[in-house]
Order: sequence, then structure tokens, then C-alpha cells
Amino acid sequence: MTPQLSWYLALSAMLFTIGVLGVLIKRNVISMFMCIELMLNSVNLTFVAFSSFFRDVSGQLFVFIVMTVAAAEAAVGLGIIIAIFRNRESLDVDDASSLRL
Amino acid sequence: MVAQRNPLYGAISLIGVFISLACLYVTLAAPFIAAVQVIVYAGAIMVLVVFVIMLLNVEEEERQPMRLRSLVPIALGLAAILFAESIFIIFFVQSSPSTPTRNVSDIGLTSSIGAGLFTRYLLPFEITSLLLLMAIVGAMTLARRGGLLPSGAGIVPGDQVFSKELLERRDIGDVSVVSTHSTEEAARLLGLRKDRQASDNGK
Repeated sequence: MTPQLSWYLALSAMLFTIGVLGVLIKRNVISMFMCIELMLNSVNLTFVAFSSFFRDVSGQLFVFIVMTVAAAEAAVGLGIIIAIFRNRESLDVDDASSLRL
Repeated sequence: MVAQRNPLYGAISLIGVFISLACLYVTLAAPFIAAVQVIVYAGAIMVLVVFVIMLLNVEEEERQPMRLRSLVPIALGLAAILFAESIFIIFFVQSSPSTPTRNVSDIGLTSSIGAGLFTRYLLPFEITSLLLLMAIVGAMTLARRGGLLPSGAGIVPGDQVFSKELLERRDIGDVSVVSTHSTEEAARLLGLRKDRQASDNGK
């Protein structure tokens, strides 16, 4: 039984759902951040699967760009997390519910 | 990964997920993307995340009473629907293109990706470079935190607190160097921001 395209899509949907679930139920900022990374990776899997099955290189270029965006997001997001921790001494998102420092 | 309460264990599990995804990319005839996945995600980004976890000394999440308990049946129903859809897709959908490009192997190679990136997708590539520049500037702005304090304070959070007078200690007689871990604490020690503390307590 050779791998079908739909298998990869199903796996990607499951990974994305797990990521959404983590963002919804986690209270730690870093855990939510990692769940966002998981969601980005599930989309990457969809791109690579389509690119491989339809023999078009565009999908892999999009994956490249998505990885760049994820790297930028990691840099800025972790900076924001450290700034919040310095101001509030906590990583709980419920403690950071107001935008005032 | 979601089930872990300790964020460090979650990070290690996420590294495992990334490496597994890299293996899937190899089976999908995309070796360059697999290598970049391991290097950038499992290497750079997760090292950054683990570094921040170590730096902030994150404790485990304590178990808290669950909010929105009324939505649990709906969530279970949606999960069952997703599971049924996945089963349906895996076992009954046969109309998708079935053979990955194992024999046509020039799709995922570095040369074809580079050719596509620098000819047809040149504009997104340049926009990406601009985005990285903005990320660098944003991270630097977040990292230096002079703007949040009064202009004469001269407080650098971290191990030492120094202003110009504190640095030249022989000019002033009795100055003791205080060591703090946060801006709030440093400001409180130096007597700044008294009004803010009072207003926070008063609320």
C-alpha cells in the first residue's frame, strides 16, 4: 500500500488540531508559543505533500518562507515573553491580561 | 507534547515531532526541506525556546479548575468528527494522485529550489529579507529597555545597576551596588516608581 496524499493531509489536520487545542488549553506563554510552532509545521507538511504529489516546486518555496517567518516570530515572540516576565514575574497568560505595563 | 505540564518536557517532545516531520519530508522526496527543518527548527528555534525556558526558570503548571466546562461535550463531538474524517480519508479516499515523485527526483533538490527562489519567487524572497530585518530591529528594541523608566534612572536590569555616578564610585562616598533581577525590583530599591507601587496597591 503506497502512501496516499490524503494520509499526509489527515496527519497534517491532526497536528493542526493538536496545536489549536494546546493554544486553547495551555496557560503558560511558552507552551502556547510551542503549540503555534506545531501549527506552522502542520501547514508545512501540507505544502510539502502537495508539492511532492503534484510535482511542483512552489510548495517547497512556500515552506522555506514559512520557516523564515517562524524564525522571525520566534525571535520577537521570545523577546516579548522575556519582557512580560520581567514586568510581571509570571508566565501565566491570565496575569498578562491587560496591555498596561 | 500538549499533555506535558513541564514546558521543558514539552519542548523536548516538540523537537521529536520536528525530527519526525523531517523524516516525513525525506519520504516525500524533499531532502532540502528536511535538512532545513532539522537545522532551523530543531536546531535554532528550539534551542532558543529551551534557552528561554532555562533562563526564566519556568515551574510546572499547577492544575487549575477547568473553565468552560459546558463546552466539553461539544469538544468531544468535534474530536469524534475529526477522527471519523481521518479514518474515512485514510481508508476510503482513493482518487488522489497516488505516487509520490520517487523517480522524478529533481523537485526537492537544492538546485531547483534555488532556481525557483531566485527567478519566479524573487519578490517574496526580498520581502522575507525585509521581514527578517524588521524582526532584528524589533528584538533589539525589546531587548534594550531604557525607554520604560524615567530618563534619569539609568537602570539596566540584570546583575548590576549603574548610573554614571555609581560607576565612578570614588566621586561619591558611600555607595553600595545593588543587584537585582528585574526592573521593577531595581526601581523599588532605588526609590523610583513609588507612586506606581502605591497606585497598584491601592487598586
